[in-house]
Amino acid sequence: MAAQSLVAALGVWMMAAPAVLVYAGTAELVARTAGPIVATLAVIATSECTRDVRLANIPVGLFLMAAPLFIDQPPHAAVNGVVAGTAVVLLSRVRGHVRARFAGGWQSLWRATDEPHV
Amino acid sequence: VQAGFIRGRIGLATANNAGSSIPVGWDYNPSALSQRLPIVVLALAGFAIATYLALYQYGVVETVWEPFFGDGSRVILSSPLSRVLPVSDATLGAAGYLADGVTGLIGGRDRWKTMPWIVVVFAVLVGPLGAVSIGLVIAQPLVYDTWCTLCLASAVISVLMIGPALDEALASLQYLKHVKNDGRASLWRAFWGLHTGRLEARA
Repeated sequence: MAAQSLVAALGVWMMAAPAVLVYAGTAELVARTAGPIVATLAVIATSECTRDVRLANIPVGLFLMAAPLFIDQPPHAAVNGVVAGTAVVLLSRVRGHVRARFAGGWQSLWRATDEPHV
Repeated sequence: VQAGFIRGRIGLATANNAGSSIPVGWDYNPSALSQRLPIVVLALAGFAIATYLALYQYGVVETVWEPFFGDGSRVILSSPLSRVLPVSDATLGAAGYLADGVTGLIGGRDRWKTMPWIVVVFAVLVGPLGAVSIGLVIAQPLVYDTWCTLCLASAVISVLMIGPALDEALASLQYLKHVKNDGRASLWRAFWGLHTGRLEARA
């Protein structure tokens, strides 16, 4: 929950970064596309039942980390993207505390037989 | 290990308790009113915001509240993108929130197994509303280089609803899978909440 809240905050930060750090062009496009996606997935992942949605943020974080390699960005935008992307990847790996049980969760739907529930 | 074993036994005991509203292998009932009411409240808040924005788009309200982005709300709400469909995007949003609220309320505390169809419709309505909201949030600064405060608030609300709404859908899908694997009752009838009897008592 705490880790996913931080990731959501990072997503909001990426949305604001082009205005705060003053950069535009493709770097802005990257930040303002990845930001809302990261924030959305992280907010969904704060719920225990959908905690695994956090894993979908790992490719987005990797994209932010790699973006300066193939997209021309001002240095401060690139540093911001790499730092934020790294944090998104690391924090999205944290499952955190899940108190409730969900009878095998979403994976149980793909298994052939009923969960034994024990 | 011992504690886990005892918890497991309690789970099985619940399985044999025909009157229980808690799904087998769960710790709580996702269809309980206490679980659903917060989502319905969010839907009503979203409905109020979207209705206000739609009234502005159709000229019923002359100005729109915008504390942060200057001309932002006016630009976004009168943009061509907001009028791609026959009705304005806020109108569609208001209808979506209303549908979320109504499908969130219908049915009793056992609805994950007595009315799987409404739970699935609820989840299907909540998901796309969030997706469309986020699409519009991405589009705002990229296409029009500004934001709209209440549009962002609406998007936040629609995203907050997704996680809490999906646990109920999981319980319904697990129940339907159980009916299918069991083979004694029709999956179709179970989906529409038509079958009763031995199997339902077990689930």
